[in-house]
Amino acid sequence: MYGVTLVCFTTSYAAALGLELWRQFRPRMVYYFLGVGFGVAGLLTQSLYLAVKRPVGWMVILAWVLAVFYLYGSIHHRRLAWGVFVLPVVLGLLGLSALFGPGFDQLTLADYNRFWGLLHAGLLLLAAVGVCVGFCASLMYLFRAGQLRAKTLPGKGLSLPSLERLEQMNRRAIDWAFPLLTAGVVIGLFLMLQQPMADWTDPRVLGAGVLWLAFLVLLVLRYGWNLRGRAVALLTIAAFLLLVLSLILPHPTGGPQ
Amino acid sequence: MNLLAVGCSHRTAPVAVRERLAFRDDQLPRALEALTTRLDCEAVILSTCNRVELYVGRVLDHPTRAAAPLDGETVVAFLAEFHGVAVEEIRPHLYVRQQADAVRHLFRVAASLDSLIVGEGQIAGQVKRAYELGQKCDAPGPMLHALFPHARRVAKRVRTETGIARGHVSVSSAAVDYVRQVFDHFGDKTVLVIGAGKMGELTLRHLRRMEPRRIFVANRSPEKALAVAKGCGGEAVPWDRLDEMLARADIVLSTTGAPEPVVTLERYRRIAAQRVGGPLVILDIAVPRDFDPRIHDGDRTCLFNIDDLKRIQEATLSDRRRHVGPAEAVVEQETQRFLKEWRRRRNGPVIERLTQDLESKREEVVRNLFARLNGRLTDEDRRFIEYAFVKLQNQFLHGPISALTEDQPADAAGHTLLDALRKLFRLRE
Repeated sequence: MYGVTLVCFTTSYAAALGLELWRQFRPRMVYYFLGVGFGVAGLLTQSLYLAVKRPVGWMVILAWVLAVFYLYGSIHHRRLAWGVFVLPVVLGLLGLSALFGPGFDQLTLADYNRFWGLLHAGLLLLAAVGVCVGFCASLMYLFRAGQLRAKTLPGKGLSLPSLERLEQMNRRAIDWAFPLLTAGVVIGLFLMLQQPMADWTDPRVLGAGVLWLAFLVLLVLRYGWNLRGRAVALLTIAAFLLLVLSLILPHPTGGPQ
Repeated sequence: MNLLAVGCSHRTAPVAVRERLAFRDDQLPRALEALTTRLDCEAVILSTCNRVELYVGRVLDHPTRAAAPLDGETVVAFLAEFHGVAVEEIRPHLYVRQQADAVRHLFRVAASLDSLIVGEGQIAGQVKRAYELGQKCDAPGPMLHALFPHARRVAKRVRTETGIARGHVSVSSAAVDYVRQVFDHFGDKTVLVIGAGKMGELTLRHLRRMEPRRIFVANRSPEKALAVAKGCGGEAVPWDRLDEMLARADIVLSTTGAPEPVVTLERYRRIAAQRVGGPLVILDIAVPRDFDPRIHDGDRTCLFNIDDLKRIQEATLSDRRRHVGPAEAVVEQETQRFLKEWRRRRNGPVIERLTQDLESKREEVVRNLFARLNGRLTDEDRRFIEYAFVKLQNQFLHGPISALTEDQPADAAGHTLLDALRKLFRLRE
């Protein structure tokens, strides 16, 4: 319907990223506006895709939320190289969605037509958004820390938020993501218990468990051991990779395998 | 237009000469009055630590009662006499800019293109104050009333359209740039000042503008610590609590005169183990350095020393130099615009009188013609004849008006094209 495919908005986001990168070398406002224009076009097309396409992929929804995050950041922080860090994640998620063939991560609403099923999916999706935001903040943090380590002159190189703000962004994303992830996993366990032939060794179940444990370790280190800065950023990146892994794995309760 | 800019600057005169020619604030009204009375001119005096300049002008068709002509030599003589120095002594250090050059010079000065540090922001304000003081003394006339506000607009345009004023050029303000890379807001931050050096005072002033929550001052001398703390609204802490304060601080400004590093790597490791807050930014502007450079990791501890701050300063200056060309182009464009506007303003009444004069003559001729040919012309004929006369009048006026709007230097006797036109067409004042 409407002829909207994954390629349409992926191309728009790629163009926005290209312009954002180009703007770093040739700082002109025209590139900024063009980039945001492509971003808006991509988001509108993707929204249309999500509205008409059934079934819908997890990663496509996640990419849509991150695209909103990209546009919000780009409009509110014009001078910052926001898109350079967020758009590759959006494109990566869309790429994975396409790479693993149609339907590997499909969120089949038919399977989730019950309240608890939808709540489980929604909570995990929001937790995943938090992890993705934390991942982007961590990448930016590491880049900013690298600039400071090398004592790059202020105003030279990529323009990024302060170290403090990036750490805060990462912390908030994780603080929000963990309770949502916990609630989503608990509901998932509850749903599994109701299945007569539940497979507890299913890779996706194990993946979700490992992701939850990784988050727990991250929070214990963060608040218990007062771990900060680069170490927390690296752990957040590891948590994001686990998230991607668990999303790639097939779902045990249904959906195309 | 007869406009002159006479003076000296850091480029032409050593400070010893500049300070002898400088006008104190209390001298300026007297100097302006003497200058305007003696030379029967309008005037503004710009006197800063880097330049002393007298802008004097006289509208050419203004009947003068002054005995002396308005030229560079008479202004130089006035300057020498006012300050009680010999003309020969100061003459080699002075420059005289005339007409368009004087306009261009003021615009360059106001736009900070002639400043010691290109792009610095103070000079535009100093030019504005000089003009305002002149106004209080009723010294500027129509020419300088047009020129100085235009200079302010040029300075603003250069600052906004080029990058000439971008970045920080003082070491103390450059420190803030580094701090802003690490911190976003300062209302919850603690600043620790170690030592009491002069440079530290300036940097602290910049840090205070960010309104940190608390400022602590540690010094080996409790009296000095108290004095600095009092000056910055901070709190003095004993020197033996330095480690504890370092563990609590977010921003450290160190400027002691210690011959050896105050905080070694081993000592800092012990301090870092006690820290529970966010990253620590250390601005070590002491020479020799107070902190071991190895403590810098760009993550939890960011240490910047005087060389790092100077790098910002050099980069800013080099960046500003790239913008000098575009800024000069703006100045040139505005100089031409000012001259054109000035000519139009001065010539406007003459052109109006000339046009009115010719128009009334044309109307009279056409009226007489129509009276003689009464009854023999159709309406169309009348319109055609009227149109032909209007066209003839416009073609006739085109030459003189175009010549007036172009540059029109006065001849040796001081006569201009405007005078010639008045005489030729018998235009009354």
